[in-house]
Amino acid sequence: MSFEMWAEKYRPKRLEDMVDQKTIVERLKSFVRSKNVPHCIFAGPPGTGKTTAALCLARDLYGEGYREHLMELNASDERGINVVRETVKTFARSRSIGEIPFRILILDEADNMTSDAQQALRRTMERYTETCRFIMCANYSGKIIEPIQSRCAPFRFTFLPREEHDKHIKHIAELENIQLLPDGVDAIFEVCGGDLRRGINTLQGAASMNKPIDAKLVYSVTGKANPHDVQKMLTTAINGDFLGARKQLRDMLQKYGVAGIDIIRQIHREIFKTEIPEPLKIKLAGITGEVDFRLVEGSDEEVQLSALLAKLVEAGYEIKK
Amino acid sequence: MYTAWIVKHKPKSAAEIVGNPSALKTFRDWLQSWDKGIPKKRAAFLYGSPGVGKTVSVEVLARDLHMELVEKNASDYRTEDAINRFAGLASQYSSLFGGKRIVLLDELDGLMGNADKGGVKAITNIVKTARCPVVLIANNAFDPRFRTLRSYCLLIDFKKPISSSIAKRLQHICEREGIQADENALQFLAQRSGGDVRSSVNDLQALAQGKKHLTYDDVSWLAYRDRQESIFSVLKMIVYGRTAYGAKQAVGMADVDLDMLFEWIYENVPAHLSDPHDLAQAMDALAMADVYRGRIRASQDWSFMRYVIDFMTAGVALARQNSKVSGWIPFKFPSRIMMLSRSKAERAVRKAIGLKIRRKCHISAVRATKEVLPYLRIIFKNDVHMAAGIAKWLDLDEEMVEYIVGTKAKAGTITAFLH
Repeated sequence: MSFEMWAEKYRPKRLEDMVDQKTIVERLKSFVRSKNVPHCIFAGPPGTGKTTAALCLARDLYGEGYREHLMELNASDERGINVVRETVKTFARSRSIGEIPFRILILDEADNMTSDAQQALRRTMERYTETCRFIMCANYSGKIIEPIQSRCAPFRFTFLPREEHDKHIKHIAELENIQLLPDGVDAIFEVCGGDLRRGINTLQGAASMNKPIDAKLVYSVTGKANPHDVQKMLTTAINGDFLGARKQLRDMLQKYGVAGIDIIRQIHREIFKTEIPEPLKIKLAGITGEVDFRLVEGSDEEVQLSALLAKLVEAGYEIKK
Repeated sequence: MYTAWIVKHKPKSAAEIVGNPSALKTFRDWLQSWDKGIPKKRAAFLYGSPGVGKTVSVEVLARDLHMELVEKNASDYRTEDAINRFAGLASQYSSLFGGKRIVLLDELDGLMGNADKGGVKAITNIVKTARCPVVLIANNAFDPRFRTLRSYCLLIDFKKPISSSIAKRLQHICEREGIQADENALQFLAQRSGGDVRSSVNDLQALAQGKKHLTYDDVSWLAYRDRQESIFSVLKMIVYGRTAYGAKQAVGMADVDLDMLFEWIYENVPAHLSDPHDLAQAMDALAMADVYRGRIRASQDWSFMRYVIDFMTAGVALARQNSKVSGWIPFKFPSRIMMLSRSKAERAVRKAIGLKIRRKCHISAVRATKEVLPYLRIIFKNDVHMAAGIAKWLDLDEEMVEYIVGTKAKAGTITAFLH
């Protein structure tokens, strides 16, 4: 058993190690061959290999010393305009020494940048094209402003197909010498929905229990990883205790730092398992979708989710009547 | 059903009144001097700032001395005629009934302008000819309007009680309510009241009612509070408003900024809307207000603020369709804000861990805490080997390990393994 996060340990190092996203990888390889890279946007859901592809590209391009030619910035942590003005600019304008005349700047979670910062970035990208190429990773390319999009080559990453996902998970289990049962693999896929990083983290969490990994263990791990009991919160709401449910929600968000998006998606799953009249399910699903969208837009997680809880209280009241 | 503690725990005897012993003595001596005939000053003028115990002193002494109290406050009588009708009766013929009586004219500050024209003159006339003790009460006896009146009165100054006496009184009330209260909590309330005993009792009720134990944390947030009355009445206008216009007006009266007002409404709406439909409607309105806040943030166009205000005020007010107004429910300070300030240290550690994960895992610190940290918790609790390895790999310090596993003991076994 090894002592690091497996998601890192088994991250592909070279483009040829990347077995998924084949068409994308082929194009990236051609960039390496021609020793030229345009500005890129890597768009797609989490855990599908965007950052990995960017890192592999850099390593293939520069060799093992690639770190000297590369900068990783994370827009969720440094999303303000000052980062663009200072850090990005300083990096972008300094010339690379070596065979390749430009350096690479990976801007991760670029869809979280403020529009001011994006505007500032646009000029930087243009001015320092000679010395720096940008790879912007984002879940939603739509959140990147049009002028930047038009300067970049777009790459769409998609969720791994089921069999690819399973292959990865099983491969790691084998190398780590852990016993993974078939229904355990199914459960990982169901819970993580093809997000490979999450899938591997789940696998490692389950492995730390030192038991053969079956579906039950996977569910208990993901249950603990999301220490919130969404189902319990929903029951509390449907039974009419709004304040109790809101308290549980607040604990999840504030004490455990669970993402509102994760809660809403779990609520969505639970709605269809809950014992409520059928027509109500689709109505609640509609409301859930609206809340989900608002969260993606950046609304206050607790306020939006508790409005949903109030709707559940209302539904519970109607059912009893 | 709700009873205000200022009524329930009103002093029953002079001994229970907070502070002002010498004023009370002067007042008592003067009342008793009526037994020996009409004194030189036929009226006592009690003055002092609100909530220091003027009215209650009159009530208590009347009871102690077995006197009948005939009481009117300024809102009841306004014109010269009305005053003459009432006060004339009470003072002139008192002896006919045998019993001793006190005539109390409270809240003289309320006599104002043309509507009360002649009011002060009428009172002066009554005082000049009174045959029973007349007691006048005002916040400010030195208002020029009272100049003539004052010269016929025995002036008794009620001072603000010191905070330790107020705290003692609050302690007494807590004992009667079966609440165990920390001394510093009561001391804080007493100090904050600025000598206003009445408001300190109101504060105490708002914060302590229904609790077994009152701690400093329960009251310390009051320091944030600008003026309770203002935010509470603003909330009342919104949560119990009947018209969109009225509810919207409330915003202009709030001393707090809009975000804070939003938090106040968000905290208090559930307790004040008992009907589930109304509650869902109101929470919906708040969610819409929040959506517009988000749009302002995204577009930096502050003109959208008008919609935020519409939804958080009128939207909430008009949600009330079926909820009954039942009893008295105190407005509470936004607990979300309290929780945020309490968990500050914890969040700092969490963020530090997030940064450590970021260095290794090519993922933002924000997402690291949400996506990786939960798994670290599981691993650290179950597998000491793996935990120690990861702790080393991520370069976590002891405090971080302790945060992840939750207990010092467990953190110890992991770090011991490291060395």
